[in-house]
Amino acid sequence: MNPEVLSLARRAFLTRITSGFAGVALTQLLADDFLAGQLAAAEPAWTPGKPQFAPKAKQVLQIFCPGAASHIDLWDYKPELEKRDGQPLPGEENLVSFQGKNGPLMKSPWPFMQAGQSGKHISSMLPYMAEHVDDIAFIHSMTSRTNTHGPGCVFMNTCFTREGFPTAGAWVSYALGSLNQNLPTFIAMQDVRGEPPNGKANWGNGFLPAQFQGVSMAAQQPLRNLARPEGISAEEDEATRAFLHQMNSEHAEQHPGESELRARVAAYEMAARMQLTAPGVADLKSETAHTHAAYGTGDRNPLKAAYARNCLLARRFLEQGVRYVSLYCASRASGVDGLLNWDAHRTLKADYERHLPIFDQPTAALLGDLKQRGMLNDVLVIWTTEFGRMPTKQAVTLGRDHNPDGFTCWMAGAGVKGGTSYGATDEFGRRSVEKVSSAYDFYATVLHLLGLNHEKLTYYNNGANRRLTDVHGQVLREILA
Amino acid sequence: MPRPLVSVVTPKRVIIIRRIVPIAFLAAGTLLCATEPSAEEKAFHEQVAPLLVKNCLECHNANVHKGGLSLETRGDAVKGGEDGTALVPGKAEDSPLYTLLVPEHAGAKPEMPKKKDPLGQEEVAKVKQWIDAGAHWPSDFVLKEKARGDKSFWSFTKLTDPAVPEAADAPPEWRREPIDRFIWAGLAAKGLHPNPPADPRSLIRRITYDLTGLPPTPKEVEAYVQAAGHDRQSATEMLVDRLLASPQYGERWGRHWLDVARFGESKGFERNSIVGNLWPYRDYVIDSFNQDKPFNRFIEEQIAGDVIGKDDPKVEVGTAFLVAGPYDDVLNQDPVAKATIKANTADEIITATGSAFLGITINCARCHDHKFDPIPTEDYYRLKAAFDGVEHGDRRLSTPEERRRAHEAIEPLKAEWTALNDQRTALQDAIGKRVAAMSDVPTSRPVLSAHLTEETFAPVPAKLIRFTMLSSSQNPASALDARIDEFEVWTGGAEPRNVALASAGAKATGANERIAKDFASAYDVSLVNDGKFSAAWNVGLPAVLTITLPQVETIEKVTFSYDRVQQSNVPISGHGPMVTEYEIHVSEDGKTWKKVADSFDRAPFNKALAEERRRRATTTPEEAKTLADLNRQITAVERKIDAVPQAALVYAGEFKQPTAHTTVLRGGDPMKPAGEIKPASLNLLDKVTSPYELSLDAPESERRLDLARWIASDENPLTARVAANRIWQYHFGTGIVDSPSDFGYLGGRPSNQPLLDWLARRLQQGGWKWKALHREIILSQTYQQASTWRKEGEAADKDARLLWRFPPARLDAEELRDTMLKVAGKLDPTMGGPGYRLYEYKQDNVSTYVPLDKVGPETYRRAIYHQGARAAVVDLLSDFDQPDNSISAPKRVNTITPLQALTMLNHSFVLDLAHDLATRVEREAGPDREKQILQAYQFAFQRDPTAQELVEAARFIEARGLFPFCRALLNADELIYLD
Repeated sequence: MNPEVLSLARRAFLTRITSGFAGVALTQLLADDFLAGQLAAAEPAWTPGKPQFAPKAKQVLQIFCPGAASHIDLWDYKPELEKRDGQPLPGEENLVSFQGKNGPLMKSPWPFMQAGQSGKHISSMLPYMAEHVDDIAFIHSMTSRTNTHGPGCVFMNTCFTREGFPTAGAWVSYALGSLNQNLPTFIAMQDVRGEPPNGKANWGNGFLPAQFQGVSMAAQQPLRNLARPEGISAEEDEATRAFLHQMNSEHAEQHPGESELRARVAAYEMAARMQLTAPGVADLKSETAHTHAAYGTGDRNPLKAAYARNCLLARRFLEQGVRYVSLYCASRASGVDGLLNWDAHRTLKADYERHLPIFDQPTAALLGDLKQRGMLNDVLVIWTTEFGRMPTKQAVTLGRDHNPDGFTCWMAGAGVKGGTSYGATDEFGRRSVEKVSSAYDFYATVLHLLGLNHEKLTYYNNGANRRLTDVHGQVLREILA
Repeated sequence: MPRPLVSVVTPKRVIIIRRIVPIAFLAAGTLLCATEPSAEEKAFHEQVAPLLVKNCLECHNANVHKGGLSLETRGDAVKGGEDGTALVPGKAEDSPLYTLLVPEHAGAKPEMPKKKDPLGQEEVAKVKQWIDAGAHWPSDFVLKEKARGDKSFWSFTKLTDPAVPEAADAPPEWRREPIDRFIWAGLAAKGLHPNPPADPRSLIRRITYDLTGLPPTPKEVEAYVQAAGHDRQSATEMLVDRLLASPQYGERWGRHWLDVARFGESKGFERNSIVGNLWPYRDYVIDSFNQDKPFNRFIEEQIAGDVIGKDDPKVEVGTAFLVAGPYDDVLNQDPVAKATIKANTADEIITATGSAFLGITINCARCHDHKFDPIPTEDYYRLKAAFDGVEHGDRRLSTPEERRRAHEAIEPLKAEWTALNDQRTALQDAIGKRVAAMSDVPTSRPVLSAHLTEETFAPVPAKLIRFTMLSSSQNPASALDARIDEFEVWTGGAEPRNVALASAGAKATGANERIAKDFASAYDVSLVNDGKFSAAWNVGLPAVLTITLPQVETIEKVTFSYDRVQQSNVPISGHGPMVTEYEIHVSEDGKTWKKVADSFDRAPFNKALAEERRRRATTTPEEAKTLADLNRQITAVERKIDAVPQAALVYAGEFKQPTAHTTVLRGGDPMKPAGEIKPASLNLLDKVTSPYELSLDAPESERRLDLARWIASDENPLTARVAANRIWQYHFGTGIVDSPSDFGYLGGRPSNQPLLDWLARRLQQGGWKWKALHREIILSQTYQQASTWRKEGEAADKDARLLWRFPPARLDAEELRDTMLKVAGKLDPTMGGPGYRLYEYKQDNVSTYVPLDKVGPETYRRAIYHQGARAAVVDLLSDFDQPDNSISAPKRVNTITPLQALTMLNHSFVLDLAHDLATRVEREAGPDREKQILQAYQFAFQRDPTAQELVEAARFIEARGLFPFCRALLNADELIYLD
C-alpha cells in the first residue's frame, strides 16, 4: 500500500484515539473492536502499541543534566588540553561564543583516572560512576543545533529547537503504549531545585495526543490531583464514583455505538487504580537501609539526598512498568551562578564541586541496582545534556562558555555494547571531528533499540509526516551489543 | 508502491528549447539538440539522470548543497564541493560520483548515498560506463527533483462555480437549501441517507454551544422547545439570530482563530517571559468576529493594519498577529547563532502566515523546493522579503488626538521638573565645588578586596555579629544588590575556628534582593555561611547581615569575600557589585552593641567612594535637608508625568526598513546567502492570481500591504477555500478538508469539493462575512439532523465525513470550564482586558509556570481570558487538550485520559463549583428533595430527570448529601458530550 495513503489512514485513526492515559493505556481494553480493526485493513508497517521489529529494550531511563554538563570535565579525556593549559586555542584565538569573548585554554580542574576493564578515562570526581564505565557506551561526538539552554534542552528531547514538538518519551509512548495499568507511561522527574530550562516543553506531547505527555512526579512532588480531597471521606468518594458510574452507564446505553463513552468510563476506573497504586510506589520506606545508604538518600547535603530519592523512585517506577522515565539532575539557568544547574560560566571548579557529588553516587547506585536486579536487560539508560562547554576559559572568569560543536552523551543497558567510546572531539574537545553525531542519530539508535525504525515512526501534523528525528538520523550501530 | 520522486524528461523527438528556465518545480531538464539521440545521450537521459535525481539530488542540489556539492549540472559535478571534484569525465575510477557508490568491501555499506539504500550493482556499473564513456551531459541540462503535486492540484486552481445537485430523490425539506442538496448527493452516491431531525432540546444545546461555547439556560431551552413546537423553522431562525448577535459569539469563534494564530502570551524559548500586553489582540479578534468584520479585511489588518489603519489603534492592533508566536530573545553573542535566531524568527512569521491564511506549508520550502507542492524555494523568500522588516516588540497605538492630549498634559509637568532639577543641580554643584577642592579624607589601611577582606580586632566576647553595608562598587550611596559568597567569624588561638558556619550552629539573617520562587535558597543569605564559595547572597535592604552564634564566643577576626574562587581584587562585570564600605558591630545580648571595625580608614575602593566620603564630610545638615526635599518633589513630579494617560504600548510588532536586500539562503543556512529576491506574489498561484512584484528596496509597509491584498483578493482560490473550510470544520468537528492548514499534496482531499467551492464562493459573494454563512449552515437540514449512531452509516462512512449523522462531540477545554462555571451560577461575564492566570508566574532569569492548587473567583471569567503562556501546563485546560500555542493548532486533538478524571474529581476548582452548584440548587428549589433534583438536572443538562433517575438521585442524596450529587453531575458524560 502507498505509504502516504497509509499515513493518512493512520492519521484518521489517531485523531480518533480516545483510549488514554497521559499515561495509562486503554489500548488493551479496547484493542479488540477499536484498535486492531482500525489498522488491520491498512496493513501498517507497525501497530501502535507494538514495536516494528524485535526490540532489545522495553523501557527507557533518561538521566538529564541540564545546564550543559561539561564533557571535558566529566567524560572526555583531553591530555592535550591539560598540556596546553593557558595557551591560546589554535585557530580560534578570538573566539566569540554565547556570552562573548573567550580566553586561553583551561584544563579540567581535576585529573582524569582510568577505570574498568576498558581502561576508560573518566574524571576523578566521579569515583562511583567509574565503576560502571564497562557498561557504558560513550558518544563523544555529539553536536547541537543551538547554543542556548532552553532550545538546547528542547532539541535534546525533541530534535527541534522550537517548543511544540513531541518529546522522545512522548514518541515512545505513542509508539509502544503502556506496560502497566495503573501508572503513567511516561514520567518526568524534576529536580528539587525546579524545572529544567524551558520547563514542560521537555516532556510535552507537542502535537501528539495529550495521553502521550510526560507526567510530572517525583519524590518531592506527588502526581497532581491524585490525592482524595480533604474533607471527603473514602466512603463518600467511593459512593460518588459508583453513582457517577451508574449515570454514565445509563447515558452510554442510550448512545450505542459511541466508543468514546466507554473510554471515559475506563479512564475513571483507571484513575481510581492510580489513586490506589501510586502512593505505594512513591513510598520509599519499604526499601532496606542498605539500599538507602547505597543511593545516599540520607546524605547531609539536602540536594544530593533529594536527587538520590528520585533515583531510587525511578527504579521503582521502572519496576512497575513505566515505559519512559526522565530523571533530571539540576534545574534551570539562574543567570548568576552554577548553583541551580551545570551552567558553569564563572567558577567551574567550585560549581562542579557542588554538582558532581550530587550526581555521582546516586546515579551510580541506580545503575548498579538496575544491573543487580537484572533490569538492565530491559531498560535502556541514556544520559543527556543540551551541549558541551568550551575548552577555553570564558574571558575574565574561571568558567567555560557554551559549546554546541562537541559534547558527550552516553547509553547503557539493554542492547548497548558497554565499555565502548564512539566518535571523538578534537584534541581540546572544541569540536566533534570523528563520526560526528547529533540528537538525530542518538534517538535513531534509541528507537532502534526499542524495535522501531525512526524513519517509519511518523505522525501527520500541519502538512508533514513528522518524525522524532526530523529528516535526519542514522543508527549508531557500533554501540549496539 | 510510492510514486518515485523523480521526473526527468526523456528525450524523444527534440523540441527546440533555447535555454533552461530553472523554475524548480517544473523539474527536469530539457535539452537542446535536433537529431535522433545517440547511445550516450540515451544512456544519460534514460539511465544515469534518473539515478542521480533519485539517489543524489535530495542533498546535492543548489539549495541544500551538502558538502558544498551540487549535482544539478555537469558543470556543478565537475566543479565539485569541499572534497574536490565529483566527476572526471572519462575516468570513473577518479570520480567520487562513481567511487563513493562502491562499497569498501563486499557487504559493507557504500559511503553514498548516505540516506538511501545502496545502488544495485547494475546501476553502479551504468554510472561507471557512462563516466568512462565521457560523461555525456548537455551543459544546460539541469536536474531537479520534482514536487509531487503541480499547479493543477485541486486547491491551487481557480474556484469553480459548481452546479447545485438536483437531489431529485430527496424529500422536499432536503431540496430547499443548496448545502443540503450537496450533502444529499454525496450521501446518495454511497447509498446513505441522513438521520431525521434532532429533538429540539438537543438542537438548542448544539446551536448554543456552537455559536457561544456555553450551554443554554433552562429557560432558553424551554422557550425554544415551545416555539419550535409551533414553527420549528422560525424558532430556529430567531435562536440563531439572537446567538449571532450576542457578544459570546465573538468569544467562541475568536477562540478558534486564536488557535490558528498560535496566540500565546509568553515568549517561549529560553526565557519564556510573560507578555503582558498582547491581550489587546485577543480583544481585537473577539471584537472583529462580533462586528462580523469581512474576513478579507480581517486578513489585511493582521498583516498590514498599521498601513491601512494608520493612527487607528483598533485597526493597527491587528498586526500583533505577526508577532503572536514564540520569540527567542536570549542575548546571544555568537554571530552565527544570532543570524540563525533572526532567520528562525522570520520563519516563524512566514509559517504562521502561510498556514493561517493560505493553508500552505510554505515553511517546507525554506531549505529546498517544496517536495510535495509546487512551491519553489524562491516563494518562501518572497514572503521573507515581505516580513524582513518585522520585529517583535511593543508599539504605542494611539490616535493623533490622544497624542495631542498627552503632549499637552506632559509639557507643563516637564517645565516644573526642569525648574526643580535646576535648583537641585545648583546646590549639588555648589557642594561639588567644595568636594572637588577638598583633599581626600586620609586613610591608613589598604583597599579591600573582592577575593578576601580581613578585619582583625582585639579579642571580644560576642554572640551576635552585625555587618552593616553602606556602599557598593556600583553605588557609593547604597549596598543594594551587592554579593557576598562567604562571611566568616574567627576565634583566636593556635587553631582558630570559623564560628559563623551553619554547620557549627550559627545562623545568618539579612534581606535578599532577589528571591527565586521555585528554589528559595538560590540567592539566600544562608549562602554566606554554608562553607562553600561561588554561589553568593544577593544583598537586599536594609543592607545588614547578622550572624547569630549558638553561644557567646571570644572572637578576634572577621573575613568575607565577594568571590573567593576568583583570584581577583575587583568584581566581575555582569555579576553584580561588591560591598565597599561597612561597619562591624558585636553584641553579647542583642541590646548593647560595640563597634569592632569599619572600612572608613581603608583606601577608597574607587573614585566614587572617595568622592562620597568627601561629600559626607562637607555637606551641612541644612544642605542635606534641602536636597532631600528637592528629591522628594522631583519624584512627585515624575510620578505625575508617569500618571498622564497615554495610549497603551501593545505587543503588536515594530516595523523597520530592512537594511539589506532579501536573499535566498542556501539550504536555509543564514550564513549562505544566494540570489536576491524581490517582494512579490507567490509563483505557486501565478496562473490564477494577478501577480505583483516590488523592487528590492521597496518600502517595508508596501511589502506587507501588497502581500495582504494579494492574499485577501477574490482571485486567490486558497484564501476563500481555507476560510470556508475552517467555518465548516468548527460547525461539524471536521472540515471538508480534514487538514485545515494544509491544502497541499500531503493534506487531506476534500470530502465534497463542489460543496467547498460553493461555500467559498458564497463567502466571497456575501462580502466575506462569516455570520451569514453560519446562519445558512445552521439552518440546513444537514446541521439539524440527529446525531444518532447507525451501524450501516458507520460501515460506509466511519467518521461521518459525509454527514449521515451530526457528529457528536466532547466539549473542548474552554467550553468545559465555562460550562461548569455557568451551571454553578458563577460565570463572570466580564469581557476584555488583561487576562487571569491559573498558574503562578515565577521569573528569575528564566520563567517557571506552576499550576495553582487553589483558584478563586478572579479566575471565573471565560477561559478565553486566561493568560495562556507557552510551555505551561494548567489543570483542566491542558488536561482537556487546549493546545500548546507554540505552533498553530488549526484542529484540536481530543483525548480521554485518567488525568482528566483525577482533575475533575479532585481539583479544588471543580469541588468549589460543586459546592456552589449545591448552594444554587438549594436556593432556587428550597428544601424539597425532588425539586432540588429537578432543578439540578435542569442546570446541568437542561432537561428533567426520568422517573428512574429521580429515584436513584434521591436515594444517593439521602445517603450522601447534595454536594456529592453535584460533584457527580459535573463529572457526568451528559455534561461533557453533545448530541
